[in-house]
Amino acid sequence: MTPTIESKISHLLAERNKEAIELVFTHYGSLLLNIINRVLRDDEMSEDVLQSVLLKIWQNGHNFDSSKGSLFTWLVRVSKNAAIDKTRTKDYRLSQESKNGVEVVSIAESISTGDEIEKLYAKQLIAQLPGDQKVLINMSFFEGYSHKEICENLGIPLGTVKTRIRTAIKHLRSII
Amino acid sequence: MDIQAYISSGILEAYLAGELNEQEMLEVDRVATEYNEVRIELDALRESLLKYAQVESKAPRQEVLDGALKSIQEIEKEKFFEVLDDEPEVRIQRVNIVPVWTIAATILLFLSLGFNYVFYSQFKNTKDQLAALQSDQTSLANRVSETNEQLQYAELRIAHFMSEDNIHIRMDGLDLAPESFANVFWNKKSNAVFISVDNLPEPPHGHQYQLWAIKPGVAPIDAGIFDHNQLVQELKIVRGNVEAFAVTLEKEGGSPIATVDKTFVKGFLKKS
Repeated sequence: MTPTIESKISHLLAERNKEAIELVFTHYGSLLLNIINRVLRDDEMSEDVLQSVLLKIWQNGHNFDSSKGSLFTWLVRVSKNAAIDKTRTKDYRLSQESKNGVEVVSIAESISTGDEIEKLYAKQLIAQLPGDQKVLINMSFFEGYSHKEICENLGIPLGTVKTRIRTAIKHLRSII
Repeated sequence: MDIQAYISSGILEAYLAGELNEQEMLEVDRVATEYNEVRIELDALRESLLKYAQVESKAPRQEVLDGALKSIQEIEKEKFFEVLDDEPEVRIQRVNIVPVWTIAATILLFLSLGFNYVFYSQFKNTKDQLAALQSDQTSLANRVSETNEQLQYAELRIAHFMSEDNIHIRMDGLDLAPESFANVFWNKKSNAVFISVDNLPEPPHGHQYQLWAIKPGVAPIDAGIFDHNQLVQELKIVRGNVEAFAVTLEKEGGSPIATVDKTFVKGFLKKS
């Protein structure tokens, strides 16, 4: 099924069909947003950049060559470049200056306060997933944290971050 | 390569998390292309994360997609208008081209019609002139032909008169018209008879001169009536032992019996 989605998207991109963008958004949107956020560390700005990435994908889709790598690798490259370009804007610099010092607090909040985790627990499907695993999943796949940052923020050795993330996802897959 | 160990290493999760650099990602792509299990595992991981994101509201907001689609729509609209902007030029060109051609074609058509009329009139005149000339030529040719015939006839008659076979009889005026005379040329071989009217008085109305051949012991033989105004005329053929020729005045149309007392001229054949 999935390879069909990748080839379907490739095919639609070659035709400059808007449906390709919808499929990219549905199947890769959250992963790409995470990758952008890894660079920008700003949810709102990352969503803006994702929006521009979707546009770039539609405009340059015909340049995608499946023989040179997977669609995802190409999407990640476009997203990373867009995110890096964004860091060079005045807009980004101003937001970074005003956020200095606040970031740590907000990160700490998102991890330490049980509010969001409580909300997540409310979701029955994922209710059985341990909180630390959810945090790992969120940080790694949805909140733009690199393994190194996770290691630093959660106090987990870098060598075990990878395996813990894997364990968390394994668990996730077993329950959904 | 131990694929299970590769999968268990957590590299695929790192791949999806954006933890790997491009070189490492391409290496994963290569392995995934080579080993189906890796590709399946990658897809399964991605699908799980997708479901998680949906349930946990971790997916990007719908507005992100809507915004992108709106931008695309605007770009498409701009392109559409670009095409439309190009259109008026084409339309103006079309509008300009068509009347120019139409006007040119109309002018040419009328010029052509005018020339056609002029040339047709000239042609018709020429045709009429030609027809007239042809008619003239025909009548001229007829006249030439007629004249030729007359000439041939005249030549024949001259030949006839000059022929040794011809006997010339001079008919002198008798008591009724002593001044008058006429000549007869009789061909002994062809038996043709010609009369040359030289000096005969105007016949009274309803009367005509008639030539007679006179043989011994018989009544005068009709040799034909003739017009006294015409110089030379060919008359009836006369055969046999002719002694003399005489001209009498008869009623118009001639008479089977000669009115001997109205004999105007008479001449005898010379004894050979």
